[in-house]
Amino acid sequence: MNKKLLYKTQRTYLYFLILLFAIVAPLFYLIANTLYLHEIDETLLLTKSEFLNNSISKLELNDIPVWNRFNNNIEIQNSIGLKTDTLFNKLYFNFLENENEPYRVLNSPIRIEGKPYTLSIKSSLLESKDLIFTIAILFVVILVLLFFGILLINKFLSTRLWKPFYQTLQKIENFEIDKHSKPDFINSDIEEFDRLNKSIEKLIERNLIIYNNQREFVENAAHELQTPIAMFKAKIDTLIQRPDVTQKQWEILNSVNDTISRLNRLNRNLLLLSKIDKHYFSETETFSMKELIEKQLDFFIEQAKQKSIQIKTDFENDFNVNSKNGLTEIMFNNLLLNSISHNVQYGIINIRLAKKVLIISNTGKAEELPPEKLFNRFSKSNESVQGNGLGLAIVKKIADLNNWSITYSFSENKHSFSVQFK
Amino acid sequence: MKLLLIEDEVELAKSIQDYLNSNDFVCEWAENFSSAVDKISIYNYDCILLDLMLPDGDGFDLLTELKNLDKTDGVIIISAKETLETRIEGFNLGADDYLVKPFHLSELLVRIQALIRRKQFNGNNKIIFNEIEIDTLSKVVKVNNQEIEFTKKEIDLLLFLVGNKNRVLSKGAIAEHLSGDMADMLDNHDFVYAHIKNLKGKLKSAQSKNYIKTIYGLGYKWQNE
Repeated sequence: MNKKLLYKTQRTYLYFLILLFAIVAPLFYLIANTLYLHEIDETLLLTKSEFLNNSISKLELNDIPVWNRFNNNIEIQNSIGLKTDTLFNKLYFNFLENENEPYRVLNSPIRIEGKPYTLSIKSSLLESKDLIFTIAILFVVILVLLFFGILLINKFLSTRLWKPFYQTLQKIENFEIDKHSKPDFINSDIEEFDRLNKSIEKLIERNLIIYNNQREFVENAAHELQTPIAMFKAKIDTLIQRPDVTQKQWEILNSVNDTISRLNRLNRNLLLLSKIDKHYFSETETFSMKELIEKQLDFFIEQAKQKSIQIKTDFENDFNVNSKNGLTEIMFNNLLLNSISHNVQYGIINIRLAKKVLIISNTGKAEELPPEKLFNRFSKSNESVQGNGLGLAIVKKIADLNNWSITYSFSENKHSFSVQFK
Repeated sequence: MKLLLIEDEVELAKSIQDYLNSNDFVCEWAENFSSAVDKISIYNYDCILLDLMLPDGDGFDLLTELKNLDKTDGVIIISAKETLETRIEGFNLGADDYLVKPFHLSELLVRIQALIRRKQFNGNNKIIFNEIEIDTLSKVVKVNNQEIEFTKKEIDLLLFLVGNKNRVLSKGAIAEHLSGDMADMLDNHDFVYAHIKNLKGKLKSAQSKNYIKTIYGLGYKWQNE
């Protein structure tokens, strides 16, 4: 799945933060703890020096029990054979709290009146635990604040920095080569985006030139073909007047004539397509769909008669369309002619107007048409029908031009095309 | 009847000339702008067939030239251009009809006939062929002085056939004449048969002779027996 750009950067930040937490938090605890222990050890050693300097010279052996009775944290114990100072952690039972509490203890060999004793100084570590805990919490709070701060700034910056990019993106998305409106890119003060805009502009310009050349070529080619076709047609018209034309020759001439008609039709349709491309049909007007259809209907009923096709109409929900009348007519005509030429003997055609929708459905080959190729130029579903493969392409083009949507569906053995008007 | 054909495509011009010359028309031909101007300033024509794209000039200028010379010759533009603008411009400059290439010669012929009728007979628009009388304005057809009900299409077809009398008309040409603008879209000309059949039937029941000859089942010809 595709993710937004912002999501990607935010995710990287998140990973970084988790990593930071995992490594830094224990490290922080370890360092803080060590430093604190170091501090306590120094305090203990200082207490010992003070004892040695101030108290020990005044102490007599008889004073030891009294000293011990009043000094809870500095005790003078019988010698345990120590040679140097030793520091260690030890749990002591606290009667007030009724639980074991951790202490840091310094045992140091001393001599009172020449006799060896052990001086035991202890300091509670409970305070340190609280302190480290508090510091840790502070640390976490700062980290979280930092994280959200970065995220917010990042988001804010991204949206602002990337704004020109998204604008450009939207313009490209809305660009259609056959609609003749070149996207107008807003200049950006960010060099990269400016470059992007300029290169897209160039690209579009080049494509437009190629597209226009191609369209003009089709138009010119179709146009230039008109005269030779006219000559061809005229020659055949002259030829069939000859009294010595035999039936065989006449049949050949007739099929040549039909081919010329097809060629002419194809040519006209190509011209029409390029004219739609060129936005040649400019004036729009508002007209009733029902009236437009009824104007053409007689002609189609006549055509349908050849195959005994019945045309049923439902114009109850007539609606007005604001568009180019001529083009809408061509669209309707193409759809209806299709429904006749791809129909079967004794078939049925339904023309229905619903809420801004024109639906033309017809009987025909009992097989769904491939919807993806249907509207392409020169895609033919049925080789036996003499269509030129441009009818639906023209329909689609006209619908696209007006932003109408056209859909094809096949159900209950009926092919239907519906045009959703705006 | 004198016609002037202004067309630079030699082969097309020849075919048009051939077709028209043998139909009570005298068709002269100018293959470029300057010779056309020479001709229209010297002679009067009943109808001028004008191609818009000439090697040495624009057909529209010729229409202006006609106006300047105070000529009232009927003009049919025959052009490969088929935009609405060129049509409108043509009519504004005084053209009477506009036929887009490629066309059938039979179509051109009935257009010329219709134009000359409009121009010269001033309201007298009757076409008489033996016992058949067609009033092109009121669209009334009489056979042996008896009015017969014809649909608009049938009258149209009758005029087309009579106008091209003694000419072989292919089904395609008739179809294109009958369906007008829609002709470009049709891939099937079978409906012509139905119309011919109806027309024949109505003429027969009105005691008219059968002038419509079927040519190998693929075309028709209006012919005096």
